[in-house]
Amino acid sequence: MTGHPANGLNDVVHQRVRLGILTVAHEARQVEFGYLRTSLELTAGNLSQHLSVLESAGLITIDKGYAGKRARTWISLTKAGRTALREEIEQLKLLIRSIDGDGS
Amino acid sequence: MTTPSATADDGPRRLLEDSRRLARRVRAAQRATWFPLVVFALATFAAIPVYRYVHPSLTCRTGQGGNRVCLVYSSAGLVYWPVALVIAYALIATFYVRRARARGVGTRVTRYVVAGVILTLIMGFAAVWMSMHPPIGDNLLGLPLRGAQLAAFVGLAGPATAIGLALLFLAGVERSWGLVCLTVAYLAVVLSPAVILHPLSGHPSVWAFLPRLLIEGGLLLVGAIAFALVQRPWQDGSP
Repeated sequence: MTGHPANGLNDVVHQRVRLGILTVAHEARQVEFGYLRTSLELTAGNLSQHLSVLESAGLITIDKGYAGKRARTWISLTKAGRTALREEIEQLKLLIRSIDGDGS
Repeated sequence: MTTPSATADDGPRRLLEDSRRLARRVRAAQRATWFPLVVFALATFAAIPVYRYVHPSLTCRTGQGGNRVCLVYSSAGLVYWPVALVIAYALIATFYVRRARARGVGTRVTRYVVAGVILTLIMGFAAVWMSMHPPIGDNLLGLPLRGAQLAAFVGLAGPATAIGLALLFLAGVERSWGLVCLTVAYLAVVLSPAVILHPLSGHPSVWAFLPRLLIEGGLLLVGAIAFALVQRPWQDGSP
């Protein structure tokens, strides 16, 4: 890996929707599928695809249950997910500083 | 995979801005500051009949020089506050958990509730100890305290301190500078010698305790109304 911050970006996380999912799950501790779908303005199918990618990468866990008769799906961040989110934010900040430095 | 890892919209600045906006929205959805303030205001107002209709107790101690010091205190208050505050925290925890389930975002209120119950128990033990060991000769725990200082020290063992310190903890959990400001103002008022000394000033009325409870409860209620106007709990259905 070279020193350029773009090389430190995680391909799984470096994407608007997935970064959004990790951010919301981090702040909320646990977030329901419906809240994510509304706040990220996605279709259920599209959100499910992104969740599958993040779950396969071990960054989130998905728990399905019921609240009364209503099925609910809750998403939580794993330890690896927290680390990936922190590193992505750090890399983005580095990248912005790098771009600003090049422009000056 | 149908979606590429990065698109033209995924510039670092845009990603960071989106991330911060989402985080702010989640925090706003989690906040329900008005509810604990309402509960504590009601608990404070509910203490009025306890102080009014249960007779106060008296503890006396004799110092080395033979001087006798007596302390009048509300034994009912010693029981009422720990019970009322623990019930209050149970209500707050239940409210936050139910609201979190309804809105689809988790809650961080557990730390606040645990801290609140611990502070309540510490305050309860301190208040019982203070009532059993009235200060002799302006000396408490070996500290040379006089007049207003002594009153402020005794006031620290009161329920307002436990409520205020726990609210500071809630301000940290909810990342609310507004609640920090309100709590600091609340503590500054309820721990001021003018408020603490009023019932100790020898006022003969059986209602001498009332101004203090009205000030404490009133401040919490005003804060609750202010936060409710900002947080708009009647719009809880919206994401």
